[in-house]
Amino acid sequence: MANDILLEIRGLHACVEDKEILKGVDLTIRKGEIHAVMGPNGAGKSTLSAVLAGKPQFTVTSGSITFMGQDLLAMSPEQRAWAGIFLSFQYPVEIPGVTITNFMKTAVNAHRQGKGLEPLKAGDFLKLMREKMAFVQMKPEFAKREVNVGFSGGEKKRNEIFQMAMLDPTLAILDETDSGLDVDALRIVANGVNALHTPEKSAIVITHYQRLLDYIVPDVVHVLKDGKIVKTAGRELVADIEEKGYDIY
Amino acid sequence: MNELNQLTVSCGQTLQKVFVLGPDKKAAGQIPSSITLERDSRLDVVLVILPGAECDIPLSVRLAGEGCEANVSGLYVCDSSQKVKIAVDMFHVVPHCNSRQLFKGMAAGNSRVDFYGKIVVAKDAQKTEAYQENHNLLLSDFAKVDTKPQLEIYADDVKCSHGATVGRLNEEEQFYMRSRGISLEDAKVLQMISFVSPVLEHVHDVELREKIASEVEDSLRTLAV
Repeated sequence: MANDILLEIRGLHACVEDKEILKGVDLTIRKGEIHAVMGPNGAGKSTLSAVLAGKPQFTVTSGSITFMGQDLLAMSPEQRAWAGIFLSFQYPVEIPGVTITNFMKTAVNAHRQGKGLEPLKAGDFLKLMREKMAFVQMKPEFAKREVNVGFSGGEKKRNEIFQMAMLDPTLAILDETDSGLDVDALRIVANGVNALHTPEKSAIVITHYQRLLDYIVPDVVHVLKDGKIVKTAGRELVADIEEKGYDIY
Repeated sequence: MNELNQLTVSCGQTLQKVFVLGPDKKAAGQIPSSITLERDSRLDVVLVILPGAECDIPLSVRLAGEGCEANVSGLYVCDSSQKVKIAVDMFHVVPHCNSRQLFKGMAAGNSRVDFYGKIVVAKDAQKTEAYQENHNLLLSDFAKVDTKPQLEIYADDVKCSHGATVGRLNEEEQFYMRSRGISLEDAKVLQMISFVSPVLEHVHDVELREKIASEVEDSLRTLAV
């Protein structure tokens, strides 16, 4: 059924500083599906996530992306966020001088404004924040910390999932969320992602390794290599890749 | 303008002065050009320069009695063809005094900022601690910032440093914020507010600080569009 389709990427070509990274990507994601995008370093995995989120440094040279019937490529990064796209960064950015509370209050209220809603009352916002921080086992004192400044790798990734929980996206893109995580942090992050998943929501899990996919079980697995999706199959593909590597594709 | 406006902070006294300069220029005439600190006194001067305030501020501070402390800080938000000139001379003439200078601001449009800051530590002013920082954001290709930090140290047992930077708003931070739904304009305002907030921390009166912070934010918003 066509109206089941959440995201449709067709013939996507993208480059950065005149270097072509994506060379014709096709990908269809239906409501409720979790897709894994795996591939060797330099395959274009992070470029795909950056292009989906609208990073200005990347130029789409041809192809289309439709998200919930809208032309995603015509939208600014913030419009994409309002529409329900969330990117968990491989390398979350530090923002000195801006506290997590202030950052999230601005973000949550921007989303509400996008939907024509009043800003959240201060008390309601703080309650929501406390609840979501507990959900990813972030200590309450992080509310006053500057965004990602001085955070460990695990704390940064938990902060990403906390933000995801706050913004409740329809399509979550997790870009190498497992990199730099120990097993405990990996489990917290994966549990967070799983708990946020509903039949209406989808996720793209971008990873190099099987590890994260032991916790977040994908419905569809793609192999991205040299800017193209070279293989698509069910979750059994993960074990296959782990065994044989990417060279056979 | 040439009238020498002198001020002395007496022994053991604390003086805080906050000057907010808008387009009406009235406050500029009230800024002392020369301040002397006597023994164990403390001075906090904060300058806030908003868009439309043309100014040329020479300020000379003399730490003349032992055990005194001078904090001179300022922020500037410059736009269109505004010209802002700040020159601070910090003279340490006796031992055991501390001074800090912190100036931060941004230049948009065709504006021009000239910052000159000098620390002089005389031969007898041992155990001096004197620091100076000037950090700038360039918001347009046509704006210009000229910063000249100077150190003249004649004593040998002192801690002194100075630093000056001129940079631009970080685009990685902007994309991160936008990916969370914060508009580009709001992202820039957040970046700029966080850039100047260490200066606002020097305004001790919380009510006054919040009033100034909201004036500064309003002016930054006009720059972010």
